Amino acid sequence: MTLLEVDDVHTYYGQSHILEGVSLTVEAGETVALIGRNGVGKTTTLRTILQLTAPRRGSVRIRGEDVTGLGTHDVARRGLGWIPEDRRMFSELSVEENLRIAVKDTDRVGGKLAHAFEVFPDLEQFRDKKAGALSGGQQQMVAIARGLVGDNDLLLVDEPSEGLAPLIVETVAESLRRVSSDTSLLLVEQNFPLAMDLADRFYLLDNGQVVEQGSTDDVSREDEQIRRHLSA
Amino acid sequence: MTGAALAAMSDVAVATPLFVDSLLDFLDPGTLASVFVDGLSKAALYVMITAGLTLIFGLMGVLNFAHGSLTMIGAYAGGLVLVVLVSDSTGSVARIGAFFAAVAVVFALLAVAGAGIEMKLVRPLYDRNPLYQILLTFGLTLVLDELVEIIVHFYGIQPTHEWQAAMATKPAFLTATYSLLGLSVVGLDLFEIAFGVLTVVAVWAFLTRTRYGLYIRAGSEDSEMTEALGINVRRAFTVVFGLGVGIAAVAGVLLAWDVTWGASVPLAAETLLPAFVVVIVGGLGTFRGTVAAAIIVGLVDATMTWWFQNVVDFPGLPEMTIFLILVVMLVVRPQGLFGVAEVGGH
Repeated sequence: MTLLEVDDVHTYYGQSHILEGVSLTVEAGETVALIGRNGVGKTTTLRTILQLTAPRRGSVRIRGEDVTGLGTHDVARRGLGWIPEDRRMFSELSVEENLRIAVKDTDRVGGKLAHAFEVFPDLEQFRDKKAGALSGGQQQMVAIARGLVGDNDLLLVDEPSEGLAPLIVETVAESLRRVSSDTSLLLVEQNFPLAMDLADRFYLLDNGQVVEQGSTDDVSREDEQIRRHLSA
Repeated sequence: MTGAALAAMSDVAVATPLFVDSLLDFLDPGTLASVFVDGLSKAALYVMITAGLTLIFGLMGVLNFAHGSLTMIGAYAGGLVLVVLVSDSTGSVARIGAFFAAVAVVFALLAVAGAGIEMKLVRPLYDRNPLYQILLTFGLTLVLDELVEIIVHFYGIQPTHEWQAAMATKPAFLTATYSLLGLSVVGLDLFEIAFGVLTVVAVWAFLTRTRYGLYIRAGSEDSEMTEALGINVRRAFTVVFGLGVGIAAVAGVLLAWDVTWGASVPLAAETLLPAFVVVIVGGLGTFRGTVAAAIIVGLVDATMTWWFQNVVDFPGLPEMTIFLILVVMLVVRPQGLFGVAEVGGH
Protein backbone atom coordinates (compact mmCIF):
# COMPACT_ATOMS: atom_id res chain seq x y z
CA MET A 1 0.00 0.00 0.00
CA THR A 2 1.26 3.47 -0.82
CA LEU A 3 1.49 5.40 2.45
CA LEU A 4 2.71 8.70 1.09
CA GLU A 5 2.48 10.27 -2.35
CA VAL A 6 4.07 13.61 -3.02
CA ASP A 7 2.99 14.73 -6.48
CA ASP A 8 4.68 17.56 -8.35
CA VAL A 9 4.94 19.93 -5.37
CA HIS A 10 6.20 23.47 -5.79
CA THR A 11 7.13 25.22 -2.55
CA TYR A 12 8.36 28.75 -2.08
CA TYR A 13 9.94 30.78 0.72
CA GLY A 14 8.76 34.27 -0.18
CA GLN A 15 9.82 34.69 -3.82
CA SER A 16 12.38 31.86 -3.69
CA HIS A 17 11.23 28.79 -5.58
CA ILE A 18 12.65 25.96 -3.41
CA LEU A 19 10.88 22.79 -4.59
CA GLU A 20 10.34 22.71 -8.35
CA GLY A 21 8.00 19.80 -8.92
CA VAL A 22 9.17 17.14 -6.46
CA SER A 23 7.37 13.80 -6.65
CA LEU A 24 8.05 10.77 -4.48
CA THR A 25 6.28 7.85 -2.82
CA VAL A 26 6.78 5.76 0.30
CA GLU A 27 5.21 2.32 0.54
CA ALA A 28 4.14 0.67 3.80
CA GLY A 29 7.07 -0.98 5.56
CA GLU A 30 9.65 0.81 3.45
CA THR A 31 12.61 3.00 4.38
CA VAL A 32 13.25 5.64 1.73
CA ALA A 33 16.24 7.95 1.75
CA LEU A 34 16.14 11.50 0.44
CA ILE A 35 19.69 12.53 -0.29
CA GLY A 36 21.37 15.60 -1.70
CA ARG A 37 23.82 18.27 -0.70
CA ASN A 38 23.01 21.19 1.57
CA GLY A 39 20.28 23.58 0.46
CA VAL A 40 18.69 21.49 -2.32
CA GLY A 41 15.29 21.25 -0.59
CA LYS A 42 15.42 18.05 1.50
CA THR A 43 14.18 19.63 4.73
CA THR A 44 11.68 21.74 2.77
CA THR A 45 10.28 18.53 1.29
CA LEU A 46 9.62 17.19 4.81
CA ARG A 47 8.13 20.53 5.88
CA THR A 48 5.91 20.49 2.80
CA ILE A 49 4.67 16.97 3.54
CA LEU A 50 3.75 18.09 7.08
CA GLN A 51 2.17 21.30 5.70
CA LEU A 52 4.46 23.36 7.92
CA THR A 53 5.32 25.11 4.68
CA ALA A 54 2.35 24.70 2.38
CA PRO A 55 3.06 24.09 -1.32
CA ARG A 56 1.72 26.54 -3.89
CA ARG A 57 1.17 23.75 -6.40
CA GLY A 58 1.02 19.96 -6.33
CA SER A 59 -0.43 17.64 -3.74
CA VAL A 60 0.46 15.48 -0.74
CA ARG A 61 -1.61 12.34 -0.16
CA ILE A 62 -1.56 9.99 2.80
CA ARG A 63 -3.06 6.56 2.04
CA GLY A 64 -4.68 8.18 -0.98
CA GLU A 65 -6.26 11.04 0.97
CA ASP A 66 -5.27 14.52 -0.16
CA VAL A 67 -3.93 16.40 2.89
CA THR A 68 -2.69 19.47 1.00
CA GLY A 69 -3.76 22.60 2.83
CA LEU A 70 -4.73 20.85 6.07
CA GLY A 71 -3.29 21.99 9.39
CA THR A 72 -0.06 20.32 10.48
CA HIS A 73 -1.76 18.71 13.48
CA ASP A 74 -4.36 17.17 11.16
CA VAL A 75 -1.61 15.73 8.98
CA ALA A 76 0.25 14.41 12.05
CA ARG A 77 -3.00 12.84 13.30
CA ARG A 78 -3.08 10.76 10.11
CA GLY A 79 -0.03 8.83 11.31
CA LEU A 80 2.92 11.04 10.38
CA GLY A 81 5.72 11.68 12.84
CA TRP A 82 8.60 14.12 12.52
CA ILE A 83 12.12 13.80 13.92
CA PRO A 84 13.54 17.19 12.97
CA GLU A 85 17.11 18.09 12.12
CA ASP A 86 17.96 19.82 15.41
CA ARG A 87 15.82 17.36 17.44
CA ARG A 88 13.76 20.20 18.90
CA MET A 89 13.35 18.80 22.37
CA PHE A 90 11.03 20.62 24.74
CA SER A 91 14.01 21.46 26.90
CA GLU A 92 12.00 22.56 29.96
CA LEU A 93 9.95 19.35 29.96
CA SER A 94 11.23 16.08 31.40
CA VAL A 95 12.12 13.17 29.14
CA GLU A 96 8.91 11.43 30.21
CA GLU A 97 6.83 14.53 29.41
CA ASN A 98 8.53 14.79 26.00
CA LEU A 99 7.35 11.25 25.28
CA ARG A 100 3.96 11.59 26.98
CA ILE A 101 2.97 14.56 24.82
CA ALA A 102 3.68 12.56 21.65
CA VAL A 103 1.25 9.75 22.51
CA LYS A 104 -1.79 10.41 20.35
CA ASP A 105 -4.03 7.79 21.95
CA THR A 106 -4.38 9.23 25.46
CA ASP A 107 -5.86 5.98 26.83
CA ARG A 108 -2.63 4.12 26.12
CA VAL A 109 -0.02 6.49 27.56
CA GLY A 110 1.29 4.01 30.17
CA GLY A 111 1.72 1.18 27.68
CA LYS A 112 3.35 3.41 25.11
CA LEU A 113 5.87 4.77 27.61
CA ALA A 114 6.69 1.25 28.80
CA HIS A 115 7.28 0.21 25.17
CA ALA A 116 9.54 3.23 24.56
CA PHE A 117 11.66 2.44 27.62
CA GLU A 118 11.81 -1.19 26.52
CA VAL A 119 13.15 -0.20 23.09
CA PHE A 120 15.42 2.50 24.54
CA PRO A 121 16.35 1.16 28.01
CA ASP A 122 19.04 3.83 28.49
CA LEU A 123 16.36 6.53 28.53
CA GLU A 124 14.57 5.20 31.60
CA GLN A 125 17.27 6.48 33.98
CA PHE A 126 16.70 9.99 32.58
CA ARG A 127 12.90 9.91 32.57
CA ASP A 128 12.56 12.68 35.19
CA LYS A 129 15.48 14.76 33.90
CA LYS A 130 14.85 17.87 31.81
CA ALA A 131 15.41 17.06 28.14
CA GLY A 132 17.49 20.22 27.72
CA ALA A 133 20.08 18.79 30.11
CA LEU A 134 20.75 15.69 27.95
CA SER A 135 23.65 15.23 25.53
CA GLY A 136 23.09 15.44 21.76
CA GLY A 137 23.06 11.67 21.40
CA GLN A 138 20.63 11.20 24.27
CA GLN A 139 18.37 13.89 22.82
CA GLN A 140 18.40 12.10 19.47
CA MET A 141 17.26 8.93 21.26
CA VAL A 142 14.41 10.85 22.89
CA ALA A 143 13.47 12.33 19.49
CA ILE A 144 13.34 8.85 17.92
CA ALA A 145 11.41 7.47 20.91
CA ARG A 146 8.98 10.39 20.56
CA GLY A 147 8.36 9.26 16.98
CA LEU A 148 7.92 5.69 18.17
CA VAL A 149 5.26 6.36 20.84
CA GLY A 150 3.13 8.45 18.48
CA ASP A 151 1.55 5.45 16.72
CA ASN A 152 2.97 6.71 13.47
CA ASP A 153 2.85 4.75 10.25
CA LEU A 154 5.52 6.96 8.72
CA LEU A 155 8.35 8.85 10.36
CA LEU A 156 9.99 11.78 8.60
CA VAL A 157 13.56 11.71 9.91
CA ASP A 158 15.77 14.72 9.18
CA GLU A 159 19.56 14.37 9.41
CA PRO A 160 19.62 12.04 12.44
CA SER A 161 23.42 11.74 12.39
CA GLU A 162 24.18 15.44 12.19
CA GLY A 163 26.54 16.74 14.86
CA LEU A 164 26.97 13.35 16.54
CA ALA A 165 30.20 11.43 17.25
CA PRO A 166 30.73 8.33 15.02
CA LEU A 167 30.07 5.94 17.90
CA ILE A 168 26.79 7.66 18.70
CA VAL A 169 25.83 7.66 15.00
CA GLU A 170 26.06 3.87 15.02
CA THR A 171 23.74 3.73 18.07
CA VAL A 172 21.27 6.07 16.37
CA ALA A 173 21.39 3.96 13.20
CA GLU A 174 20.67 0.85 15.23
CA SER A 175 17.70 2.61 16.88
CA LEU A 176 16.32 3.59 13.48
CA ARG A 177 16.68 0.00 12.28
CA ARG A 178 14.64 -1.16 15.28
CA VAL A 179 11.97 1.48 14.71
CA SER A 180 11.82 0.69 10.97
CA SER A 181 10.62 -2.84 11.75
CA ASP A 182 7.23 -1.33 12.74
CA THR A 183 7.21 1.99 10.91
CA SER A 184 8.02 3.31 7.46
CA LEU A 185 10.76 5.91 7.31
CA LEU A 186 11.45 8.79 4.96
CA LEU A 187 15.02 9.58 5.86
CA VAL A 188 16.86 12.78 4.96
CA GLU A 189 20.56 12.11 5.40
CA GLN A 190 23.77 13.62 4.07
CA ASN A 191 25.81 10.68 5.32
CA PHE A 192 25.55 8.73 2.06
CA PRO A 193 26.85 5.33 3.31
CA LEU A 194 24.49 5.52 6.32
CA ALA A 195 21.53 6.42 4.11
CA MET A 196 22.31 3.57 1.72
CA ASP A 197 22.72 1.21 4.65
CA LEU A 198 19.33 2.03 6.19
CA ALA A 199 17.15 2.60 3.13
CA ASP A 200 15.46 0.31 0.62
CA ARG A 201 15.10 3.04 -1.99
CA PHE A 202 16.46 6.51 -2.48
CA TYR A 203 15.65 9.82 -4.18
CA LEU A 204 18.46 12.20 -5.08
CA LEU A 205 17.49 15.87 -4.96
CA ASP A 206 19.28 18.71 -6.69
CA ASN A 207 18.10 22.30 -6.99
CA GLY A 208 14.63 21.39 -5.80
CA GLN A 209 14.14 18.54 -8.26
CA VAL A 210 14.47 14.77 -8.10
CA VAL A 211 17.38 13.99 -10.41
CA GLU A 212 17.78 10.30 -9.69
CA GLN A 213 15.95 7.53 -7.87
CA GLY A 214 16.11 3.80 -7.45
CA SER A 215 16.80 0.86 -5.20
CA THR A 216 19.75 1.18 -2.84
CA ASP A 217 20.75 -2.36 -3.84
CA ASP A 218 21.43 -1.13 -7.36
CA VAL A 219 23.69 1.71 -6.40
CA SER A 220 27.32 1.51 -5.46
CA ARG A 221 28.57 3.56 -2.54
CA GLU A 222 31.25 4.74 -4.91
CA ASP A 223 28.73 5.81 -7.58
CA GLU A 224 30.46 8.74 -9.24
CA GLN A 225 27.33 10.55 -10.41
CA ILE A 226 25.73 10.48 -6.96
CA ARG A 227 28.96 11.46 -5.22
CA ARG A 228 29.23 14.41 -7.65
CA HIS A 229 25.72 15.58 -6.71
CA LEU A 230 26.42 15.21 -3.00
CA SER A 231 29.74 17.02 -3.02
CA ALA A 232 29.03 19.78 -5.54
CA MET B 1 31.14 78.06 55.95
CA THR B 2 28.19 79.69 54.12
CA GLY B 3 24.76 80.23 55.62
CA ALA B 4 23.20 77.79 53.13
CA ALA B 5 25.60 75.04 54.12
CA LEU B 6 24.86 75.64 57.80
CA ALA B 7 21.12 75.50 57.11
CA ALA B 8 21.54 72.20 55.20
CA MET B 9 23.54 70.71 58.08
CA SER B 10 20.86 71.84 60.48
CA ASP B 11 18.16 70.12 58.33
CA VAL B 12 20.16 66.89 58.34
CA ALA B 13 20.61 67.13 62.10
CA VAL B 14 16.83 67.44 62.53
CA ALA B 15 15.97 64.76 59.96
CA THR B 16 18.36 62.08 61.19
CA PRO B 17 16.71 61.39 64.58
CA LEU B 18 13.31 61.53 62.86
CA PHE B 19 14.47 58.89 60.39
CA VAL B 20 15.93 56.73 63.18
CA ASP B 21 12.67 56.98 65.17
CA SER B 22 10.65 56.04 62.05
CA LEU B 23 12.98 53.14 61.32
CA LEU B 24 12.55 51.86 64.87
CA ASP B 25 8.74 52.17 64.47
CA PHE B 26 8.93 50.27 61.19
CA LEU B 27 11.07 47.52 62.71
CA ASP B 28 8.56 46.98 65.50
CA PRO B 29 7.39 43.36 65.05
CA GLY B 30 3.73 44.42 65.00
CA THR B 31 4.35 46.97 62.23
CA LEU B 32 6.53 44.61 60.23
CA ALA B 33 3.93 41.85 60.43
CA SER B 34 1.11 44.17 59.39
CA VAL B 35 3.18 45.51 56.44
CA PHE B 36 3.96 41.90 55.53
CA VAL B 37 0.27 40.91 55.49
CA ASP B 38 -0.60 44.05 53.50
CA GLY B 39 2.21 43.19 51.04
CA LEU B 40 0.98 39.63 50.61
CA SER B 41 -2.58 40.80 49.95
CA LYS B 42 -1.27 43.18 47.27
CA ALA B 43 0.85 40.32 45.87
CA ALA B 44 -2.25 38.10 45.73
CA LEU B 45 -4.11 40.71 43.68
CA TYR B 46 -1.11 41.28 41.40
CA VAL B 47 -0.65 37.57 40.76
CA MET B 48 -4.33 37.17 39.85
CA ILE B 49 -4.28 40.14 37.50
CA THR B 50 -1.01 39.05 35.94
CA ALA B 51 -1.37 35.25 35.66
CA GLY B 52 -3.40 35.49 32.46
CA LEU B 53 -1.10 38.09 30.93
CA THR B 54 1.86 35.77 31.54
CA LEU B 55 0.15 32.66 30.17
CA ILE B 56 -0.96 34.51 27.04
CA PHE B 57 2.49 35.96 26.40
CA GLY B 58 4.23 32.66 27.23
CA LEU B 59 2.25 30.62 24.73
CA MET B 60 1.36 33.12 22.05
CA GLY B 61 3.90 35.91 22.35
CA VAL B 62 1.01 38.38 22.51
CA LEU B 63 1.36 41.28 24.94
CA ASN B 64 -2.30 41.94 25.66
CA PHE B 65 -2.73 45.64 26.34
CA ALA B 66 -6.48 45.09 26.80
CA HIS B 67 -5.84 42.94 29.89
CA GLY B 68 -6.45 45.81 32.33
CA SER B 69 -9.70 46.73 30.60
CA LEU B 70 -10.91 43.15 30.87
CA THR B 71 -10.05 43.18 34.60
CA MET B 72 -12.05 46.39 34.89
CA ILE B 73 -15.01 44.85 33.06
CA GLY B 74 -14.73 41.89 35.45
CA ALA B 75 -14.97 44.32 38.37
CA TYR B 76 -18.14 45.92 36.96
CA ALA B 77 -19.70 42.62 35.94
CA GLY B 78 -18.92 41.06 39.32
CA GLY B 79 -20.22 44.17 41.07
CA LEU B 80 -23.47 43.97 39.08
CA VAL B 81 -23.99 40.32 40.01
CA LEU B 82 -23.29 41.13 43.67
CA VAL B 83 -25.64 44.11 43.67
CA VAL B 84 -28.39 41.95 42.13
CA LEU B 85 -27.88 39.02 44.52
CA VAL B 86 -27.17 40.85 47.78
CA SER B 87 -29.65 42.93 49.75
CA ASP B 88 -29.48 44.50 53.21
CA SER B 89 -31.00 41.39 54.73
CA THR B 90 -28.54 38.98 53.12
CA GLY B 91 -26.43 37.21 55.73
CA SER B 92 -22.63 36.96 55.74
CA VAL B 93 -22.46 33.37 54.51
CA ALA B 94 -24.95 34.08 51.71
CA ARG B 95 -22.87 37.12 50.72
CA ILE B 96 -19.77 34.93 50.35
CA GLY B 97 -21.93 32.53 48.33
CA ALA B 98 -22.99 35.45 46.14
CA PHE B 99 -19.33 36.39 45.69
CA PHE B 100 -18.45 32.91 44.43
CA ALA B 101 -21.51 32.95 42.18
CA ALA B 102 -20.25 36.27 40.78
CA VAL B 103 -16.79 34.74 40.31
CA ALA B 104 -18.28 31.79 38.38
CA VAL B 105 -20.51 33.96 36.19
CA VAL B 106 -17.81 36.53 35.45
CA PHE B 107 -15.18 33.86 34.76
CA ALA B 108 -17.48 32.06 32.32
CA LEU B 109 -18.63 35.23 30.52
CA LEU B 110 -15.20 36.83 30.22
CA ALA B 111 -13.45 33.55 29.32
CA VAL B 112 -15.88 33.16 26.40
CA ALA B 113 -15.36 36.82 25.46
CA GLY B 114 -11.58 36.32 25.64
CA ALA B 115 -11.80 33.24 23.42
CA GLY B 116 -13.89 35.27 20.96
CA ILE B 117 -11.35 38.11 20.94
CA GLU B 118 -8.56 35.63 20.22
CA MET B 119 -10.43 33.89 17.42
CA LYS B 120 -11.86 36.92 15.66
CA LEU B 121 -9.34 39.70 16.31
CA VAL B 122 -5.93 38.38 17.37
CA ARG B 123 -5.71 35.21 15.26
CA PRO B 124 -5.58 36.96 11.87
CA LEU B 125 -2.51 38.86 13.08
CA TYR B 126 -0.29 35.95 14.23
CA ASP B 127 1.71 35.86 11.02
CA ARG B 128 2.29 39.61 11.00
CA ASN B 129 4.72 41.90 12.78
CA PRO B 130 4.08 41.84 16.60
CA LEU B 131 3.47 45.59 16.39
CA TYR B 132 0.06 44.81 14.85
CA GLN B 133 -0.94 42.83 17.96
CA ILE B 134 0.17 45.67 20.23
CA LEU B 135 -1.79 48.19 18.17
CA LEU B 136 -4.85 45.93 18.11
CA THR B 137 -4.92 45.24 21.86
CA PHE B 138 -4.13 48.89 22.65
CA GLY B 139 -6.97 49.96 20.37
CA LEU B 140 -9.21 47.40 22.02
CA THR B 141 -8.49 48.85 25.45
CA LEU B 142 -9.51 52.33 24.24
CA VAL B 143 -12.74 50.98 22.75
CA LEU B 144 -13.61 48.89 25.83
CA ASP B 145 -12.88 51.73 28.25
CA GLU B 146 -15.04 54.17 26.28
CA LEU B 147 -17.80 51.60 25.94
CA VAL B 148 -17.88 50.97 29.70
CA GLU B 149 -17.74 54.72 30.36
CA ILE B 150 -20.79 55.24 28.11
CA ILE B 151 -22.75 52.38 29.69
CA VAL B 152 -21.87 53.50 33.22
CA HIS B 153 -23.01 57.07 32.56
CA PHE B 154 -26.06 56.02 30.54
CA TYR B 155 -27.37 53.89 33.37
CA GLY B 156 -25.99 56.20 36.07
CA ILE B 157 -24.61 53.27 38.00
CA GLN B 158 -21.51 55.07 39.09
CA PRO B 159 -22.28 58.41 40.64
CA THR B 160 -18.94 58.45 42.41
CA HIS B 161 -15.47 57.49 41.33
CA GLU B 162 -15.53 54.40 43.50
CA TRP B 163 -18.52 52.18 43.03
CA GLN B 164 -19.91 52.10 46.54
CA ALA B 165 -22.86 49.85 45.75
CA ALA B 166 -20.73 46.80 45.00
CA MET B 167 -18.39 47.40 47.92
CA ALA B 168 -21.34 47.54 50.30
CA THR B 169 -22.18 43.92 49.46
CA LYS B 170 -19.11 42.74 51.39
CA PRO B 171 -19.93 40.57 54.45
CA ALA B 172 -19.18 42.18 57.79
CA PHE B 173 -16.47 39.67 58.75
CA LEU B 174 -14.34 40.84 55.81
CA THR B 175 -14.45 44.46 56.88
CA ALA B 176 -13.64 43.62 60.51
CA THR B 177 -10.14 43.83 61.97
CA TYR B 178 -8.88 40.79 63.81
CA SER B 179 -6.21 40.41 66.42
CA LEU B 180 -4.05 37.50 65.33
CA LEU B 181 -0.97 36.57 67.39
CA GLY B 182 -0.81 40.11 68.66
CA LEU B 183 -1.22 41.88 65.32
CA SER B 184 -4.18 43.55 63.70
CA VAL B 185 -5.27 42.06 60.39
CA VAL B 186 -8.14 43.17 58.16
CA GLY B 187 -10.40 40.30 57.11
CA LEU B 188 -10.37 41.25 53.42
CA ASP B 189 -6.54 41.10 53.34
CA LEU B 190 -6.65 37.49 54.54
CA PHE B 191 -9.41 36.68 52.05
CA GLU B 192 -7.37 38.17 49.20
CA ILE B 193 -4.28 36.21 50.25
CA ALA B 194 -6.29 32.97 50.42
CA PHE B 195 -7.84 33.69 47.01
CA GLY B 196 -4.43 34.49 45.52
CA VAL B 197 -2.95 31.25 46.88
CA LEU B 198 -5.94 29.34 45.49
CA THR B 199 -5.41 30.93 42.07
CA VAL B 200 -1.69 30.10 42.05
CA VAL B 201 -2.34 26.48 43.09
CA ALA B 202 -5.12 26.09 40.50
CA VAL B 203 -3.03 27.52 37.63
CA TRP B 204 0.03 25.53 38.71
CA ALA B 205 -2.00 22.31 38.92
CA PHE B 206 -3.56 23.02 35.51
CA LEU B 207 -0.14 23.57 33.93
CA THR B 208 1.66 20.64 35.54
CA ARG B 209 -1.02 18.04 36.23
CA THR B 210 -3.23 18.12 33.15
CA ARG B 211 -2.61 17.05 29.58
CA TYR B 212 -3.75 20.44 28.33
CA GLY B 213 -1.21 22.08 30.65
CA LEU B 214 1.46 19.89 29.06
CA TYR B 215 0.37 21.11 25.61
CA ILE B 216 0.62 24.70 26.82
CA ARG B 217 4.09 24.28 28.33
CA ALA B 218 5.30 22.52 25.17
CA GLY B 219 3.62 25.07 22.89
CA SER B 220 5.27 27.91 24.83
CA GLU B 221 8.67 26.43 23.96
CA ASP B 222 8.08 25.33 20.36
CA SER B 223 4.61 25.67 18.88
CA GLU B 224 5.63 24.24 15.48
CA MET B 225 7.01 21.03 17.00
CA THR B 226 3.94 20.74 19.24
CA GLU B 227 1.70 21.05 16.18
CA ALA B 228 3.75 18.36 14.41
CA LEU B 229 2.93 15.98 17.28
CA GLY B 230 -0.74 16.20 16.33
CA ILE B 231 -1.75 18.88 18.82
CA ASN B 232 -3.98 21.72 17.70
CA VAL B 233 -1.92 24.61 19.04
CA ARG B 234 -4.33 27.23 17.69
CA ARG B 235 -7.07 25.72 19.84
CA ALA B 236 -4.69 25.85 22.83
CA PHE B 237 -4.16 29.57 22.01
CA THR B 238 -7.92 30.13 22.22
CA VAL B 239 -8.23 28.20 25.49
CA VAL B 240 -5.30 30.06 27.08
CA PHE B 241 -6.56 33.46 25.95
CA GLY B 242 -9.98 32.66 27.37
CA LEU B 243 -8.53 31.35 30.65
CA GLY B 244 -6.18 34.31 30.98
CA VAL B 245 -8.98 36.81 30.48
CA GLY B 246 -11.23 34.82 32.83
CA ILE B 247 -8.64 34.88 35.65
CA ALA B 248 -8.08 38.62 35.18
CA ALA B 249 -11.82 39.20 35.34
CA VAL B 250 -12.04 37.16 38.57
CA ALA B 251 -9.35 39.44 40.01
CA GLY B 252 -11.64 42.29 38.99
CA VAL B 253 -14.51 40.81 41.05
CA LEU B 254 -12.24 40.84 44.09
CA LEU B 255 -11.12 44.39 43.34
CA ALA B 256 -14.78 45.51 43.32
CA TRP B 257 -14.81 44.67 47.05
CA ASP B 258 -11.51 46.36 47.87
CA VAL B 259 -11.82 49.97 49.00
CA THR B 260 -8.36 50.87 47.65
CA TRP B 261 -9.40 49.83 44.14
CA GLY B 262 -13.17 49.55 43.52
CA ALA B 263 -14.89 49.30 40.13
CA SER B 264 -14.08 52.28 37.96
CA VAL B 265 -13.01 52.92 34.38
CA PRO B 266 -9.49 54.08 35.41
CA LEU B 267 -9.09 50.65 37.05
CA ALA B 268 -8.05 49.42 33.58
CA ALA B 269 -4.86 51.49 33.58
CA GLU B 270 -4.36 51.16 37.34
CA THR B 271 -4.17 47.36 37.03
CA LEU B 272 -2.42 47.15 33.65
CA LEU B 273 0.67 49.13 34.68
CA PRO B 274 1.58 47.11 37.80
CA ALA B 275 0.72 43.95 35.87
CA PHE B 276 3.31 44.84 33.23
CA VAL B 277 5.83 45.57 35.99
CA VAL B 278 5.20 42.14 37.55
CA VAL B 279 5.41 40.35 34.18
CA ILE B 280 8.68 42.06 33.23
CA VAL B 281 10.29 41.69 36.68
CA GLY B 282 9.35 37.99 36.77
CA GLY B 283 10.51 37.33 33.23
CA LEU B 284 8.15 37.42 30.25
CA GLY B 285 6.04 34.29 30.02
CA THR B 286 7.17 32.45 33.16
CA PHE B 287 4.47 31.68 35.70
CA ARG B 288 6.84 31.03 38.63
CA GLY B 289 8.57 34.33 37.77
CA THR B 290 5.20 36.06 37.90
CA VAL B 291 4.46 34.62 41.35
CA ALA B 292 7.90 35.60 42.69
CA ALA B 293 7.69 39.09 41.15
CA ALA B 294 4.17 39.64 42.48
CA ILE B 295 5.39 38.87 46.01
CA ILE B 296 8.40 41.19 45.64
CA VAL B 297 6.36 44.03 44.12
CA GLY B 298 3.58 43.55 46.71
CA LEU B 299 5.99 43.66 49.66
CA VAL B 300 7.93 46.65 48.33
CA ASP B 301 4.65 48.44 47.57
CA ALA B 302 3.38 47.79 51.12
CA THR B 303 6.68 48.87 52.69
CA MET B 304 6.83 52.12 50.73
CA THR B 305 3.16 52.77 51.40
CA TRP B 306 3.89 52.57 55.15
CA TRP B 307 6.86 54.94 54.84
CA PHE B 308 5.12 57.47 52.63
CA GLN B 309 1.95 57.47 54.73
CA ASN B 310 3.56 57.48 58.19
CA VAL B 311 6.84 59.34 57.72
CA VAL B 312 6.95 61.41 54.55
CA ASP B 313 3.19 62.08 54.36
CA PHE B 314 3.05 61.77 50.58
CA PRO B 315 0.51 58.97 49.96
CA GLY B 316 0.63 59.23 46.15
CA LEU B 317 4.32 58.43 45.89
CA PRO B 318 4.47 54.67 46.71
CA GLU B 319 3.12 53.81 43.25
CA MET B 320 6.30 55.26 41.82
CA THR B 321 8.44 52.76 43.70
CA ILE B 322 7.13 49.75 41.81
CA PHE B 323 8.18 51.44 38.58
CA LEU B 324 11.61 51.99 40.14
CA ILE B 325 11.79 48.21 40.63
CA LEU B 326 11.06 47.89 36.91
CA VAL B 327 13.82 50.33 35.98
CA VAL B 328 16.36 48.62 38.24
CA MET B 329 15.41 45.20 36.85
CA LEU B 330 15.67 46.37 33.24
CA VAL B 331 19.17 47.71 33.94
CA VAL B 332 20.48 44.83 36.08
CA ARG B 333 18.67 41.81 34.60
CA PRO B 334 16.60 42.72 31.52
CA GLN B 335 15.29 39.18 31.06
CA GLY B 336 13.66 39.30 34.52
CA LEU B 337 14.03 36.91 37.46
CA PHE B 338 13.23 33.69 35.61
CA GLY B 339 13.33 34.80 31.97
CA VAL B 340 15.85 33.61 29.42
CA ALA B 341 18.27 36.18 27.98
CA GLU B 342 17.96 36.74 24.24
CA VAL B 343 21.12 35.89 22.37
CA GLY B 344 22.29 38.69 20.14
CA GLY B 345 19.70 41.13 21.43
CA HIS B 346 20.51 44.81 21.68
